[in-house]
Amino acid sequence: MSLEGKLALVTGGGRGIGKAIALKLASQGADVIVNFFRHRDTAQETAGEIEALGVKAETVRANVGDPAKIDEMFDTISTKFGRLDIFISNAASGVGRPITELDVKAWEWTMDINARALLLCSQRAAKLMSGRGGKIVSISSLGSSFVLPNYTLVGVSKAALEALTRYLAIEFASQNICVNAVAASAVETEALKFYFKEGMAQEGHHLTPAGRMVAPEDVANVVSFLCSEEALMIRGQTIVVDGGTSVGLLALAGKGG
Amino acid sequence: MTVEEQIRDIVARITRVDKSIITRESTFKDIKADSLDVVQALVAVEELFEIEIPDEEAQNFQNFGDFVSYVENKVAQTEKV
Ligand SMILES: NC(=O)c1ccc[n+]([C@@H]2O[C@H](COP(=O)([O-])OP(=O)(O)OC[C@H]3O[C@@H](n4cnc5c(N)ncnc54)[C@H](OP(=O)(O)O)[C@@H]3O)[C@@H](O)[C@H]2O)c1
Repeated sequence: MSLEGKLALVTGGGRGIGKAIALKLASQGADVIVNFFRHRDTAQETAGEIEALGVKAETVRANVGDPAKIDEMFDTISTKFGRLDIFISNAASGVGRPITELDVKAWEWTMDINARALLLCSQRAAKLMSGRGGKIVSISSLGSSFVLPNYTLVGVSKAALEALTRYLAIEFASQNICVNAVAASAVETEALKFYFKEGMAQEGHHLTPAGRMVAPEDVANVVSFLCSEEALMIRGQTIVVDGGTSVGLLALAGKGG
Repeated sequence: MTVEEQIRDIVARITRVDKSIITRESTFKDIKADSLDVVQALVAVEELFEIEIPDEEAQNFQNFGDFVSYVENKVAQTEKV
């Protein structure tokens, strides 16, 4: 139980990949604060599952796209715990439309939740990690480097997230705060149904050299490693968890030779 | 301002339509609200009235009137407690 006694905050930790991360950190002994936005019931269920692992769990509502709500969330954590060891920036939202249908509102919504939240939350998290060190992990996707259908805004926001991760890693390095990102290919969650048509899971199996799609737990395992002392010398990196998809596509298409 | 007027102001601000065209019978489509507008309106209303509107409930709103009635009921409930 390498994370015993640590306190973690996972944004969007109530469901999907965030939930898998919250449960994994809890299984390593960390107490977990589950942030949610529009699904209180789901977040509370997740908190129950975390407590069943023998650690403490809290839920806190905040729209991470809203700076005032981020402040309120960290004020609450600050008053209640006065510290934080692990911050996971997982929450994301987006508008999946062709470029011709994108507008300023869609841009701001996506960038505020997916990219700006990492900046504002990390500023507050670093204060709570001051003098004790800590770990920050942001959750990205292959869409930051590769073009996916109707994924423009999220892809661009994830590219910003990864760049910010590098800058945070260097500026926070002297405070013993490790900052990294994990970028996943398509993972079977609710979000996937939103962006891609049915049958994607089927296709996903064929497009993954590892033979199956990435599961939320695959992402959570890497996040938990980055939160361990064993990963101390990994800084500012984006670790790709895609079962080989990004490097293996040409080979799969039979165009490798 | 009544609950209905306050919600009408929020929806008009977010969708940038003239509030005079929003009646209780207006559908989100009539108001030209896309899915992001709907989420933003829900969140703004949740914050103003300090209530929560689960997505499962919001999906049942056929028109602006349904939205208003739901919020009126919720507000009345919270005032009672
Ligand atoms: N699924 C994939 O294929 C995939 C692939 C690569 C990377 N990712 C990344 O992995 C992360 C999690 O994805 P997922 O598929 O698990 O997502 P999901 O199923 O769509 O769930 C989104 C999560 O983010 C939360 N959230 C959304 N907007 C929020 C806001 N404004 N403030 C606070 N929380 C907010 C939601 O909370 P509520 O439910 O309470 O609203 C929910 O917990 C995201 O960063 C995503 O980009 C996903």
